[in-house]
Amino acid sequence: MKILRRIKDKFKKLMRKKNTVRHNAQSFCAKEAPKNIPGLRETVIEQAKFSNPQHLRQGGRFMPQELPSEYGQDQMALLVRDYRWLYTYWEVKGSTWENLKKSLGGEFHRAKRVLRAYDVTAIDFNGNNANRFFDIEINESANNWYIDTNGPGRSWCVDLGLLLVSGRFVTILRSNTAHTPFEGPSWITDEEWMIPEDMFARLYGMGFGLGRSSAAGKNWQIFSQVISSGGVASMASPIKKVSQEKDFWLKVDCELIVYGATDPGALVTVQDKPVNLRKDGTFTLRFSLPEGKQVVPIKARSADNQDERNITPIITRETK
Amino acid sequence: MHKGYLAIVLHGHLPYVRHPEHEDFLEEDWLYEAITETYVPLIWVLEKLAEENVNFRLTMTLSPTLISMLSDPLLQERYLLHINRLIELAHKEIERTAWQGQFNSLARMYLEQFTLARDTFNRLQRNLVNAFRALQDAGKLEIITCAATHGYFPLMDVCRESIRAQVKVAVAHYEKTFGRKPRGIWLPECGFYPGHDEILKEAGLQYFLSDAHGVLHGTPRPKYGVFAPVYCKGTGVACFARDLESSKQVWSSIEGYPGDYNYREFYRDIGFDLEYNYIRPYIHPDGVRINTGIKYYRITGTANHKEPYSPQWAREKAAEHAGNFIFNRQKQVEYLHDLMRKKPLIVSPYDAELFGHWWYEGPQWLDFIFRKIAFDQDQIRMVTPSEYLAENPRNQVITPSMSSWGWKGYSEMWLQGQNDWIYRHLHTASARMTELAKSNNGTNGILKRALNQALRELLLAQSSDWAFIMGTGTHTSYAVRRTKDHLLRFNRLYDEIKANAVDNQWLTDIEYKDNIFPDIDYSLHQ
Repeated sequence: MKILRRIKDKFKKLMRKKNTVRHNAQSFCAKEAPKNIPGLRETVIEQAKFSNPQHLRQGGRFMPQELPSEYGQDQMALLVRDYRWLYTYWEVKGSTWENLKKSLGGEFHRAKRVLRAYDVTAIDFNGNNANRFFDIEINESANNWYIDTNGPGRSWCVDLGLLLVSGRFVTILRSNTAHTPFEGPSWITDEEWMIPEDMFARLYGMGFGLGRSSAAGKNWQIFSQVISSGGVASMASPIKKVSQEKDFWLKVDCELIVYGATDPGALVTVQDKPVNLRKDGTFTLRFSLPEGKQVVPIKARSADNQDERNITPIITRETK
Repeated sequence: MHKGYLAIVLHGHLPYVRHPEHEDFLEEDWLYEAITETYVPLIWVLEKLAEENVNFRLTMTLSPTLISMLSDPLLQERYLLHINRLIELAHKEIERTAWQGQFNSLARMYLEQFTLARDTFNRLQRNLVNAFRALQDAGKLEIITCAATHGYFPLMDVCRESIRAQVKVAVAHYEKTFGRKPRGIWLPECGFYPGHDEILKEAGLQYFLSDAHGVLHGTPRPKYGVFAPVYCKGTGVACFARDLESSKQVWSSIEGYPGDYNYREFYRDIGFDLEYNYIRPYIHPDGVRINTGIKYYRITGTANHKEPYSPQWAREKAAEHAGNFIFNRQKQVEYLHDLMRKKPLIVSPYDAELFGHWWYEGPQWLDFIFRKIAFDQDQIRMVTPSEYLAENPRNQVITPSMSSWGWKGYSEMWLQGQNDWIYRHLHTASARMTELAKSNNGTNGILKRALNQALRELLLAQSSDWAFIMGTGTHTSYAVRRTKDHLLRFNRLYDEIKANAVDNQWLTDIEYKDNIFPDIDYSLHQ
């Protein structure tokens, strides 16, 4: 109990720290945004929450920052990751557990928690007529699992259940049915659209951009090689970033700032190009400075055209 | 006489990023960069082709989220601020590089490009969608739709009501935007799962695009491989599969054209290269260095040393690569024509942002492609998928395979250790949305507003982009936050609707923030 509390305290501290950071990151927005814009309300609430939770609770509802860990429902879903792997997640509500404990008595605690994956290809599954099934023993805290079916082109259904010491399997939840795709081309051909094996092999290879010289043959595995060499997706950069040659590095460049001041009404040119003066008659120019000598004649002519001053800095950059 | 068809398809999409509650929001730059670097240059290319009566065909997705952002007055206003800042920076760069001729002329090039981009933006009443609509009406461009917020369908199969909502909201939005029904749809990430074609059919869609193995691994075997579309068994919705050979030539980071040493280097931007105090006003207000869009170097080679960019050399390369692309398609078409005894169709889909944003010369390359195909050869004819179907209505019927164009070809990019936690929440929200839609017929007033907003929040949470960013494992906090925020808002709406106690002030607040799809109809979620 003590340890648990300590962990909790630590967690709270951590969260507080995190929240402070978040608050700082947002503060620049709060400062600049006008107070009466409608979209601000939730943000302001967030910020108030971060800096002073007590104050906020008095003011009615606030938005939680984290999603609930459970929804109080019995639910199990089965998703297909690829032709081989499935993913399942589940939630069992408290009362379901209570009922199981009641009905199974002592057996409940001795039972193993198991995922039972049924191959239900081409059948109307009723719980007992699967083509085959296999079990995966899982730990009690798990609420999701990746399942290696090694079974492309099949239909699957998964039970979360208890395997009793007696060998009896008790289903707690049953998932939806999901279908894994084929790993390669279908062996079924269409009479109306018959295709010679060799021609299909050529088209198959070409479809994957393997060129015309070699037919793919029956080595359909080429597909996985092609695809895993890096697919694409929206939001991805297709352009490769070239990594640094060495870990340690140094870059140096030089710029030159030329600045000055004159009568605010004067006309100033730098290298014969007119320069804008600030209201107080000062000016600043910034140049990327290449190797070698730069001659920078600066001329100022008075507003009444009576006076002129010339100053010419000469700068040499020599990088060794 | 032509021997085959070529359909180039560009997929234009960005997730909905719009934060009225923050004055400056880093992720909104995705849109501003895409406008300046991809969409405006594409419009320049396409408008010029149309103006000069060059016969070309292009198919393009404009995702509902992208259209919504391009049409949003707040983001339009902010884009103007953004491009004005860039123009100011380009002016400063011209001054700063006065003693370095090569960089100076590049700074001038950027100033011209940014100024023209602003002109185009203003000429189109700040809404680029106007240009694409006009090009479609002129018969050169076929705009297809996408899922409402780019939800990844194969991982939504347990809640098809949400897939239906994603499709139907998108179709309604398309009709309102373009004044006609969409013929085709780009399934987000080309993600297809057998049976989802039923929903496309319900929505009146004729075709979708898939990756190569979607058709090659379909049942029964496709007689013409990826070189002719197939009809889905039971629905007759057509499926056009990607040709990987033409894809690789453009897309591959190793063998693809964009890696040529004469092209502009994406990763050398003055936002990172220049002295901090000078560049400070043009990077993130937090002081974090970011890309500005001004880049002075060419790829040069594999080493770190980079040479200045030469627009002339790059342009010549783009022309050469366009010639090479067409030459390869001609060879491909010739060979396939003999093998198939039928005119093959080569479908080459790409992410739109490859052109201009990642591959700076991409729009030029496309321009050369369109012109060379129109004037320099007669073996290949460009088509759009619906044109192809009109001319070739008889196609094989198969069941395409589950597939995507993502990493490893299936769902792993969106379903792995870093992002699998989202699905229990997303699916629960979907089931709750279905429950709400069923139990609330013909509502009005605040209840109706709350129900519509609930669907908006759900759709926004479903964007595949969030799972994708989490899957890449870098800079994930924004994607995690967006997923949670929309789901939290949805959950609260669900509770308040069930309790018949909708907080009007808060609802107004999130309606203002998540304002996408103003005409959304929650009853589409069924």
